[in-house]
Amino acid sequence: MSEKRKYKKRFCKYCEAKVDFMDYKDVAALRFSLSERYKIMPRRLTGNCKRHQDMITIVIKRARAAALVPYTVTRKTVVSAPFENLR
Amino acid sequence: MRHYENLVIVKPTLTAEEIQASITAIEEIITSNGGEIATTNPMGMRKLAYPINKSERGYYHVIYYTVVPSAISEIERRFRINEELLRFVTIKYDTNREIAAWNYLVTKAKKSAEAPVKTETPVVDDKAPEAEVPATEAPAVEVPAVEAEAVATEEAEAK
Repeated sequence: MSEKRKYKKRFCKYCEAKVDFMDYKDVAALRFSLSERYKIMPRRLTGNCKRHQDMITIVIKRARAAALVPYTVTRKTVVSAPFENLR
Repeated sequence: MRHYENLVIVKPTLTAEEIQASITAIEEIITSNGGEIATTNPMGMRKLAYPINKSERGYYHVIYYTVVPSAISEIERRFRINEELLRFVTIKYDTNREIAAWNYLVTKAKKSAEAPVKTETPVVDDKAPEAEVPATEAPAVEVPAVEAEAVATEEAEAK
């Protein structure tokens, strides 16, 4: 499980940055808590605190409704460059 | 009055003028229901993360406004009727922290709206004789911004 090794050290990135509010339109900031298949990463892997995990789940779900972030990426619906807007 | 934000995605098949016309129609819906538009943020034509109604792209437009909560259902009903809209997302900013974030987003959107004006002015300066035009434009842009902020602070005090 390469993902587990990636998030070995556990601390809340958002607490460290003192994030009070997340904007669902800022897709680059959401990327940290999304997996390669655009699932929401669990807290045990990212190390987010409960408060910020609750915030990010709401924000990601809003971004999904606004078609800024895909719901899922399966083999059938491969998104070639889902974040090409960021470039 | 409560603070809201609306993101609308307009169909990409329309021409630029039709898109602008539909956006003004959307803003008209909000103002006719008693809403006060603080600012707007055109995000432009973007690729959608997944196709909506078989269209791969869409024109994103964000509107920040304050309106009485009871008017939202009517605004959303009108949005649902509108066939030029692919999708709309209404966000409520209720708590003090969220309202602070709303004010921050509004000022940020205003700055980004003013930024292209700043980039345009040097171009006008290069053409030389029209140097007065940006000078007249700049205060015209600033004054409503100050007024809007004053209104926002008054509302905050009223609460």
